[in-house]
Amino acid sequence: MTDAIGAILERLETWISDATGNIKIVERALLGMEGSYVELLTILALGLLAILPILVPRRHRQRWRTFNQALGVVVFIFVVFTCLGVFGMIRNFHRGLSEIGRENIVALYYCSVPAVILTTSMLFGPAFCGWICPTGALQEWIGALTRPWNDRRKAQGWPFSRWALAGALAIAAVFALWMIRLSVTRLFFIEDASIYWSEILVLITILATLNMTRWDRPLRRLRWVSFALVTAASFLSLRVTSPVHLGFAKVYDPASLLSTVMVIMAALLIPHVWCRYLCPWRSAIAWAGRCSVRTIVHDPSQCLSCGACDRVCGVEAIHNGRIEPDECHFCLKCVDRCPRGALTVKDDWNRPCG
Amino acid sequence: MRLIRLIVCAGLTTGVPDGWASGDWPAARRSPAGDAALVWSSPIAIPEWHYQWKSKRRYRPGQTVWASPALAMVEGRPVAFIGGYDQTLHALDLANSRVLWRRMTNADIGAPPVVGLLAGRPVVFLASNDRTLYALDAATGITLWTRELEPSRPTLGEAEMTAPLLMEGRLYVAGFVFDRSLARNEQRGWLYVLDPANGSLRARMEVSQGYVSEPIGFYVDGTPCLAIAARKGLLQCFSLESEVPRLRWRYQMPHEVMGAPAVWSEGGQRILVLGSKFGNLIALDAGEGRELWKRMAGNWFDNSACIGLLDGTPVVFAGSHDYRVYALRAADGHLLWRRALGGEIYSAPAFFNLEGQPHLLVAGLDNHLHLLDARTGRMVTSYYTGRPIWDKLNKGENRWGSPVVVDAGPHTVLVHGSFNDTVYILPLARPATLQARARSVRGLWINLAVAALLFFASLPLLRRP
Repeated sequence: MTDAIGAILERLETWISDATGNIKIVERALLGMEGSYVELLTILALGLLAILPILVPRRHRQRWRTFNQALGVVVFIFVVFTCLGVFGMIRNFHRGLSEIGRENIVALYYCSVPAVILTTSMLFGPAFCGWICPTGALQEWIGALTRPWNDRRKAQGWPFSRWALAGALAIAAVFALWMIRLSVTRLFFIEDASIYWSEILVLITILATLNMTRWDRPLRRLRWVSFALVTAASFLSLRVTSPVHLGFAKVYDPASLLSTVMVIMAALLIPHVWCRYLCPWRSAIAWAGRCSVRTIVHDPSQCLSCGACDRVCGVEAIHNGRIEPDECHFCLKCVDRCPRGALTVKDDWNRPCG
Repeated sequence: MRLIRLIVCAGLTTGVPDGWASGDWPAARRSPAGDAALVWSSPIAIPEWHYQWKSKRRYRPGQTVWASPALAMVEGRPVAFIGGYDQTLHALDLANSRVLWRRMTNADIGAPPVVGLLAGRPVVFLASNDRTLYALDAATGITLWTRELEPSRPTLGEAEMTAPLLMEGRLYVAGFVFDRSLARNEQRGWLYVLDPANGSLRARMEVSQGYVSEPIGFYVDGTPCLAIAARKGLLQCFSLESEVPRLRWRYQMPHEVMGAPAVWSEGGQRILVLGSKFGNLIALDAGEGRELWKRMAGNWFDNSACIGLLDGTPVVFAGSHDYRVYALRAADGHLLWRRALGGEIYSAPAFFNLEGQPHLLVAGLDNHLHLLDARTGRMVTSYYTGRPIWDKLNKGENRWGSPVVVDAGPHTVLVHGSFNDTVYILPLARPATLQARARSVRGLWINLAVAALLFFASLPLLRRP
């Protein structure tokens, strides 16, 4: 019986390895002066994607946003060869700085992409999270399957749910069994540190389903811990890859596949679970967005306190019109949902930081 | 006057200098096909030997621990020449399990040396990352000459030099040097042409703006050629009919290239094979650079392939980071077999005969050397060669040394500098003391437990206002 299961799992792994062996639609990666510029075009694409949120008309804005996210998924998963995921952008930014003067075109690429994102965040708010990030998009689309249920629970103040706890324990069981299998068949290197992040994500999911009200806010501080760890790893030349590295890299990565599945499964129970609790890039973008020219402004005179903005926000960044800048993904769903137009997007070049 | 100029030019383009021959190991993997096997007919048994030398050099993460060895017959016995992060080239007398000599350089050695013959005596040529080429007497280690390829200046960054190539009486070596200073900012991959007799620089040409792999020499319709790959994927082939190599063709690989090409140019065929970090193996017509076939693996190829004859048919052997070794027919890329092993294959294969049968030797990140039947891919045996001296191994960004073989019939041995800091000389036709070892997963589960404990321990801190 064990042999039969092992044989089935082995065939499944071979199929996944073959199927994901070449998911990129382009054949040429970053090659600098001696070849094509395909990956350099991602800098251009990112710039355009970052500007799109401010160009689209308000009418059908959320459809444009979904389209933008889909474009981001295509670019990151099917075009980009190098890990520019949430860990990769921090790690490779450090690498890009160290490549200046040694391989300048490599330095340009690795520094440019994070620089473009941070700069657009400083100017136009943290729109990367809500409009481009493929990890956020993935969680949002997956979370749509359980949104009615989660919306009800949120409206009731996240009461304890046996189903939610059962779901969290099921996720933990999948993680444990998958790790047992992987520990036998694969070797783990520093690049596979994503399994530790997904382990923490599983524990967070269990804790949050036990008492969301008590733990939701404190656990969000872990993003800074995540950021510190990834930054420290960069300086130590440790190539830690993120839980969703699978989608960005060219190659089949079993540890990252496990981690990606954990993020997807946990997003069914807690909306934007990765963004809320562990995303290090979220911390960096939130910091950059504190000084942004573009903000969402609340007009109390127009506000009915109907709670529509609270209900629609996937990361609970807004309460009766008051926005927490460190949590806001700038998806503008609250602006579009407000019945009285009490929330508007404004540009203020004289706005102070903070 | 014109006649005099023609005579001078003819003199400059004359081939082999007097008394000079290519020797036992004229290229990084011995031949353009990359078989990395030295044939030795002798009744003398080569004993098993685990060689370690504790230098005072500290290992820096990312360095090659031991480069690939080179082999040569020195005074009738097989000698391995191997360098590493200890900045030292070691000459190991394999028949007597003793060190012949050591030669220290001023930087780490990341590439194998080559061995040529001058007036019948073997000479070792080594390019160290101190930007210097060394010519050493193979029997005594006495320095015959040195040549600093790039003048030293304070702002120069760390160089990365390749294995040399001996061909047509000239010595070719490549290297990447860069200067970060604003005044002299440059990043260049150079190909140097030198006279092996005295180290005089005959020509220098820029072939890349980044890292380069070792040059590979071969013949196309009798014309000597050299192929060199840049890390950023540009593959170039030069004709060596004149002292200054002349570009013959170029090909852009789809991703980073960390290995060197392997070429089969016998029997009327001329096939060049190179893998890339895109995960594909590409075969080109070595004479024109025209693509012949392309095959995809599940992960990177980050070292060279090798080409060997199986029943008269040239076959390409390559190891990928998808855990598999591939055997493809060189003419059309038809897959003959693929074998999954215990870990990501990082080495170039060595192809040789053992007990009259073709065999393959590869090294994997599962800390094992694997011996395979080259016809079927059947695993013959494995040897556990120890854990890396730096356990935070970045698997995709380091290039490690590959094993080589002394093909001596019943006394055939492998020579491999493992990343556990030991050079292994192991018999292949009889049992060795090294065995395959099952992997312990205890460390992984301990790490997971520690991560969970740290998470729970941090919860009170997270709740603080």
